[in-house]
Amino acid sequence: MYFMSSEDDTLSLKSIPDNWIACKDCDLLLERVDTPLGEKALCPRCDNPLYQPREQTVERTLALTLTGLLLFIPANLLPVMSLSLVGQETSTTIYQGSLVLFNEGLYWTALLVLFASIVIPFCKLLLVLFVSAHLHLERSSALLPYAFRYYHYLDEWGMLEVYMLGVLVAVVKLKGMASIIPGIGLYCFVALLLVTTLMSSLLDEDDFWKRIEQALKRQLR
Amino acid sequence: MKQPATARQMGLIRCHTCGKLAFDVGHDGYEEHCPRCRAHMHMRATNSLSRTWALLITAAILYVPANVLPIMTVTYFGSGQADTIMTGVITLLQHGSYPVAAVIFIASILVPVLKMVALLILLLSVQLKWALDDRQRTCMYRAVELVGRWSMLDIFVIALLVALVSFGSIAQIISGPGATAFGSVVILTMLAATTFDARLIWDKEVTDD
Repeated sequence: MYFMSSEDDTLSLKSIPDNWIACKDCDLLLERVDTPLGEKALCPRCDNPLYQPREQTVERTLALTLTGLLLFIPANLLPVMSLSLVGQETSTTIYQGSLVLFNEGLYWTALLVLFASIVIPFCKLLLVLFVSAHLHLERSSALLPYAFRYYHYLDEWGMLEVYMLGVLVAVVKLKGMASIIPGIGLYCFVALLLVTTLMSSLLDEDDFWKRIEQALKRQLR
Repeated sequence: MKQPATARQMGLIRCHTCGKLAFDVGHDGYEEHCPRCRAHMHMRATNSLSRTWALLITAAILYVPANVLPIMTVTYFGSGQADTIMTGVITLLQHGSYPVAAVIFIASILVPVLKMVALLILLLSVQLKWALDDRQRTCMYRAVELVGRWSMLDIFVIALLVALVSFGSIAQIISGPGATAFGSVVILTMLAATTFDARLIWDKEVTDD
């Protein structure tokens, strides 16, 4: 990593060199260096991860997104777990939790749960599918930058892993009260969680943006 | 020795969405949108401090009902008990579920409080130009960004419990208004972390020159 110097004659810049980057958190101007695949380049001033090149990021992301979308339907429609107490049995799916909250009048909380556990993770998968399929097939679309931008905005609001921890806590809370039977939906959900977590770690945002830029340039030609 | 320069000192803007560098040509310049991702470009997040203050203060106000009001009411064989976040943790402790009690305590009580204190320190230190270590403050900011989402844990637990435990008069769990307030606190602090522009921590160097 090299520091750019304000004493250089770069102040009379005509165009910005392609290998220049700035740190997200401290605005330090840096020259990009080649990093081995999988290794993070850190900002020398504030330790912020700048980029992390990934092998075959488009193909791997595409494959994982398709798997994720296949798992999404059973994970959300099949019961996550059942509870039996004195001969009665109840079961719940992910969306039912939100539905019950809605019926009890907590509309805002119901929406929060619905969005964080279903709507946003689903939108993220669709957006990444759209972008990675286009990049893999070397097609271009004017919508590519918008799709990937919205993926970036939605990223932190999908909370599948927090939901998973919620399932574990709920199990412990109910343990003494009634007997709990895990449902098929739970296995699908765990698989979905693994796939989406792997997808976000193998997705090289920096590389995706560069490819989107190239795809758009090709289109203009 | 070379002095490190920031993008701003070089008249460059880094797109906050995709990281592309572009020339800063002022507000009326044609590169108001990022040349790559078309997002609005700003040298620094617009009104970062005031927006973060507003969200943080709202979160702090809502933190009171979030802890005082019951998040759920558990009825078990006729006897009902309204649980707030804190009594929920205490109940778990009494039942001997120490690890889960610890998880809930960290996610629902410790993290929201520490997050609000951290944001408060960041805001005050930037505004009043406190001489704190920049690297440490940036690290603190990243921690706030990273752990915020985990506070949603309790909300998801409530959603699962109310859907599962509905055995009429035998056992029933009903959600309470505390959940709404608590969910809002989590969302507001997450938004406050996003509106805070970490580059403001380092910017004072420019004015010191």
